[in-house]
Amino acid sequence: MHETSIALSLLNSLSELAEKERAKEVTKVRVRIGKLSGIVVDSFVFAFNALKPDYPKLGRAELLVEEVPSRYRCLDCGNEFEVETIYFPECTRCRSVNLKLISGEELEVVDVEIEV
Amino acid sequence: MCDVCGCGHDHVHENRAVVSDDSTRRVVEIKKSLLDENERIAEVNRKHFDEKGVLAVNLISSPGSGKTTLLEKTIEALKGEFKIGVLEGDIETERDAERVRAKGAYAVQLTTGGACHLEAPLVHKGFHALEKQMNGGAPDILFIENVGNLVCPSSFYLGEHVRVVLVSVPEGPDKPAKYPKAFKTSNIFIITKSDLIPYFDFDVEKVKREALSLNPNLKVFVLSAKTGEGLEEWFNYLKELVRRKKGGK
Ligand SMILES: Nc1nc2c(ncn2[C@@H]2O[C@H](COP(=O)(O)OP(=O)(O)O)[C@@H](O)[C@H]2O)c(=O)[nH]1
Ligand SMILES: [Mg+2]
Ligand SMILES: [Zn+2]
Ligand SMILES: [Zn+2]
Repeated sequence: MHETSIALSLLNSLSELAEKERAKEVTKVRVRIGKLSGIVVDSFVFAFNALKPDYPKLGRAELLVEEVPSRYRCLDCGNEFEVETIYFPECTRCRSVNLKLISGEELEVVDVEIEV
Repeated sequence: MCDVCGCGHDHVHENRAVVSDDSTRRVVEIKKSLLDENERIAEVNRKHFDEKGVLAVNLISSPGSGKTTLLEKTIEALKGEFKIGVLEGDIETERDAERVRAKGAYAVQLTTGGACHLEAPLVHKGFHALEKQMNGGAPDILFIENVGNLVCPSSFYLGEHVRVVLVSVPEGPDKPAKYPKAFKTSNIFIITKSDLIPYFDFDVEKVKREALSLNPNLKVFVLSAKTGEGLEEWFNYLKELVRRKKGGK
């Protein structure tokens, strides 16, 4: 349930941003959430939408989530591949477990659209 | 000044750039982590700890893995040598702060308001409360007992120097596979309640191997607070960490 506290902290920083930019309102916010970030996207979106009416300039802010798959590079054969499982992944070509994570841990705000 | 509580620690400011501009709508590029606010305050905590020579240890496990019991034993064994402080975040057992105080530690119970993990701002307040309890002094070791949960706490850096993940034998051997993040972000892995190994299907070597395949730098301990098995090594390692902290930088 830490989705709620992350949504709250996002709303707070959007609120600050709206003040700083003298915006009438925030209309869109784009975030990237990796498969391995430990965030359940649905809970996050739910919490964001449930809490946003409490913020004067965020009531109509639309949250756009880009889900980033987990991608690994095999350090033995160079193969790059996506996996669904969060459990011990192995190379889809040579079955090596000697892997480097390339993406999937993202948890970031990309940009924010405001109405000024 | 630190805007957490005004204690005099600076913080970094976000950098962002305006990328597009039309008359009424504007897109502001942000590019920062959703956990940025927490991390920022965690860095402030870390600075606090470093300035006061405190070794901060964050304990993460499911409820009932034996965190408080291990702390009780640790306090008994080390209190002659070190001042020990504890921040108790476990909502399962409200009386954990009393338990460790009874053993001779300074302790503050943190109330998360139902949250499933500790966050840096609460730890910040808790540490100040602890300093007050110690009449302005600071502990040599600060244990932070996180809320019993193997998922959420691993996303929240608190400013600790050392993160410990604990799994008790009755919980079963599949924890590294199911909760990889807790193992990837920890420095120490403790298998607790080793006295129960004969009664459970728990292949210690296999669990160790799986944990190490997630994180080869993990230092592993197998111990029992009940029989005392393995405790000495844990105590010695902690002493070594405190020594390094005091002597090092
Ligand atoms: N058999 C056995 N039981 C233990 C051990 N350590 C803790 N326990 C028991 O496990 C239960 C939960 O312990 P506690 O320290 O409160 O767990 P916490 O929730 O992680 O703080 C208690 O009933 C303890 O007595 C141990 O080494 N062996
Ligand atoms: Mg406890
Ligand atoms: Zn391969
Ligand atoms: Zn402060």
